[in-house]
Amino acid sequence: MWDYNEQTRFEINLMATTVQTRIDNSIEDPSRRAPLITGGLDYDGVSDVVSDLAEMAKPPRIWYVLLAISASLTLILGALIGLLFFKGVGVWGNNAPVYWGWPIVNFVFWVGIGHAGTLISAILFLFRQHWRTGINRAAEAMTIFAVICAGMFPGIHIGRVWAFYWLFPIPSEHLSMWPNFRSPLLWDVFAVSTYFTVSLLFWYMGMVPDLATFRDRSTTRLRKFIYGILALGWTGSARHWHRYETAYTILAALATPLVLSVHTIVSFDFAVSIVPGWHTTIFPPYFVAGAIFSGFAMVITLLVPMRSIFNLKHIITVRHIENMNKIIMVTGLMVGTAYTIEFFIAWYSGNPFELFAFKNRSFGPFWWAYCIMFSCNVFVPQLYWFKRIRTSMIMSVVIGILVNVGMWFERFVIVMTLNRDYLPSSWSYFRPTWVDIMMLIGSFGLFMTLFLLFCRFLPVIAMSEVKGTITFQRNMAHAGGYADQH
Amino acid sequence: MSNETHQDKKLVGVLGQFDSPDALLHACENARQSGIKKMDAYSPFPIHGIEKALGVPRTILPFFVLAVGLSACAAGLGLQWFTNATENWGPWSGYQFKISGKPYFSLPANIPVTFEIIVLSSAFAAFLGMLALNRLPTFANPLHRIARFKRATNDRFFLAIETSEGGLDATSARNKLMEYGATDVEEVWLDQTDHQLPAFLKTFLVLALVLLLLPPVMVFRGQGMTSRQTRLHLNPDMDFQHKFKPQSLGPVASDDPLGFFFEHKRSALAQIPGTVSRNQDDSDSTFLRGIKAGPDSHHTNIKIPVVLASNQEQEALTPAAAPVEPDWVTEFPEQFDVNQENMLLGQKKYDIYCSVCHGYSGEGDGLVNQRASALAINGGTTWTAAKSYHDPEVVKQPVGRIFDTITNGRATMGPYASRLSPADRWAIVLYIKAIQETRANVPPATDVPPEADKNAGAKAE
Repeated sequence: MWDYNEQTRFEINLMATTVQTRIDNSIEDPSRRAPLITGGLDYDGVSDVVSDLAEMAKPPRIWYVLLAISASLTLILGALIGLLFFKGVGVWGNNAPVYWGWPIVNFVFWVGIGHAGTLISAILFLFRQHWRTGINRAAEAMTIFAVICAGMFPGIHIGRVWAFYWLFPIPSEHLSMWPNFRSPLLWDVFAVSTYFTVSLLFWYMGMVPDLATFRDRSTTRLRKFIYGILALGWTGSARHWHRYETAYTILAALATPLVLSVHTIVSFDFAVSIVPGWHTTIFPPYFVAGAIFSGFAMVITLLVPMRSIFNLKHIITVRHIENMNKIIMVTGLMVGTAYTIEFFIAWYSGNPFELFAFKNRSFGPFWWAYCIMFSCNVFVPQLYWFKRIRTSMIMSVVIGILVNVGMWFERFVIVMTLNRDYLPSSWSYFRPTWVDIMMLIGSFGLFMTLFLLFCRFLPVIAMSEVKGTITFQRNMAHAGGYADQH
Repeated sequence: MSNETHQDKKLVGVLGQFDSPDALLHACENARQSGIKKMDAYSPFPIHGIEKALGVPRTILPFFVLAVGLSACAAGLGLQWFTNATENWGPWSGYQFKISGKPYFSLPANIPVTFEIIVLSSAFAAFLGMLALNRLPTFANPLHRIARFKRATNDRFFLAIETSEGGLDATSARNKLMEYGATDVEEVWLDQTDHQLPAFLKTFLVLALVLLLLPPVMVFRGQGMTSRQTRLHLNPDMDFQHKFKPQSLGPVASDDPLGFFFEHKRSALAQIPGTVSRNQDDSDSTFLRGIKAGPDSHHTNIKIPVVLASNQEQEALTPAAAPVEPDWVTEFPEQFDVNQENMLLGQKKYDIYCSVCHGYSGEGDGLVNQRASALAINGGTTWTAAKSYHDPEVVKQPVGRIFDTITNGRATMGPYASRLSPADRWAIVLYIKAIQETRANVPPATDVPPEADKNAGAKAE
């Protein structure tokens, strides 16, 4: 699909005297910083490369093909939601005792994916990780689209969807009631909606200077009008930048505890209930690690094809991919530890119900799901110990997809704990309906449609931040700290 | 320059272009050293140290966000306390949820929502505060008129020095910029017409505002008015199931081509003569119905009124169909023994089924009745208050009548025939009669045997 040969390795010239068009910035040389932007791109070059996709008259054919597929899947999803509204939740495979079937699995899966974006934009920003500038915009976009998919599933699961506003504390003469603020399900409403709104603000605010670049580059009146409105009249004034950077740091400082709180609260949906296999204190950290794990896997899955289709290889370099693969490996180990500790505690607690829940998870009717989960999440990321695999684009995508398969099954395994509850007479095998399956596929369609439209119409790279990194890189090169191509 | 304001254009500053962030930084430092205050630098990305070089004071934004965050903390906690821990307080009533015997307000359980409200409000404060302090959005800016300035968001760096009547003039500003190393210098002219909105935009905005107001107006209108038309239901809710209630009218003939429904368009089959339905054994009218056996007492003789097509027709028939009071049984039937055992049975069943509305002492002050009456006073519900057994009307009622009330219900009270056997019902009648006796026939003091009186007096001492 993408040109792998372009990643041919070049020996890094440690003397840094001759100009090289391509260098392998994944080589670790402790005496110098590896360059984060390659190909000798200057400020104008960055604007050109990033604006190219939004400005070209016709995007590559593959963009149309992918959009056609994902838009059709989105239409199917819309039709199925209509079916659900008119027929009720019985169109899904949810039953007693598995009241929470695929919808909650999909919800937790998508929310988890949405965690990488804010982690990259907020936590890596606070730690001054300059490599985030190449990938943060696309990762934030991915976050927002994943949270849209996530919010949809509990939203359509509430039965009487037309009364959805009862979820919020709105004074109502008709209901004469308020939400119960001590319920984890309500915490979830607040956590997910706050996460979506704050991510959207963060994303949009980060995009304002780049939208101004688009506005100033635009040649048609329509583009000038639309990007002009979106850019809010941004001029790049030093006074504006000063307040903007302060606001950005504050947003990052707010989003950092937020990103950790959201999946913690999602895990409370399970952990606060008194169900064997769910009622454990390990859930919050284990859910957060799993979320970052799956989120980075999704970022890799999207960015590797994107960088080659849209010619962004000098900005999203091998080093970026490798860094993300390292994070996947670390969080994969965390998740693996959590699986093991969970099992140990089930035995060590001496609680027969807890032990039964875990035995049933791994050796019960859904043993196959547990196997998929464990091998995809714990064994597969171990391949990243090898640098060859860490820096291989094809392997990165393959492993990224496998990790997300594993993470979907992790949530499936957790929810299927309900399958064998306290009453053996109600034990039966959970089977999803075709609506369940098509809705999951449809949600991928929605996600991909939004992402493809984002690629076409909005700045996919944080241009102003990358330009700042170029300056930093140049200054460091002059100071002798950066292995630069100049 | 005030004498030029009538013209369309006015000179507001001079713009110098620089090729690198360092050049801009030095120019800013030089300009500041030479005493220029009214200037601003423009760059495609933030340049570190430039606010110091320009003398830009630190923004108050963090304090603003802190203030909003702290207020949000108080508001979030207050919201949860008001909605979940208070009742009948303030303009809207809170709703106290008692869950697992836990306190209405417990800080640990209220932390997550408080935290989310703080983060949400602070994020908006940071974003909107930044925009407000920067006076954005500002779409009309004289700098946007300059073709060269388009590169300020791409790859060039600019320093704009404001000119004014008393201060710098254009020539000296231009010279200074050249001196600081500007590659190009250009004058910035303010076009007064830039601040006017295009005419089509005004019309568009007014129209959009009116159109946006329509849906909420329609919603409020719908909520605040009554209508004789049936409500529109996009979705057949549980409230509107595909079924016919007994004694209701079946569909019109065109909807029922198979003739599935019964005579007189009823939705249910009328009782076939000579058959006895389940629980309709009326072989012993006295015991089972509380009505004296006689030619009129047989149930088949009592006409079940046919439900007529319209309310008017039914109303017209009502006087004629007004039920004649049946011949109620006045004594307990033979099969039922008036004894201590049945009295205790009656008390037990009364406490279970009747006391919730009628109260333990038969005053009609049961908890359900109290709550329902309170709701009915507030409006929204209708409720016929439970009768007190000490009401003279009720005291006069023969036992058969009370038995019939339990069996078939009256007004808001439902029938209890399905839950209480005839013997149980008679036991309850017995207990009710006993409750009435406690008030109606207080024995005169002389009736009390002298020994009992003495005993009571001794105990009291």
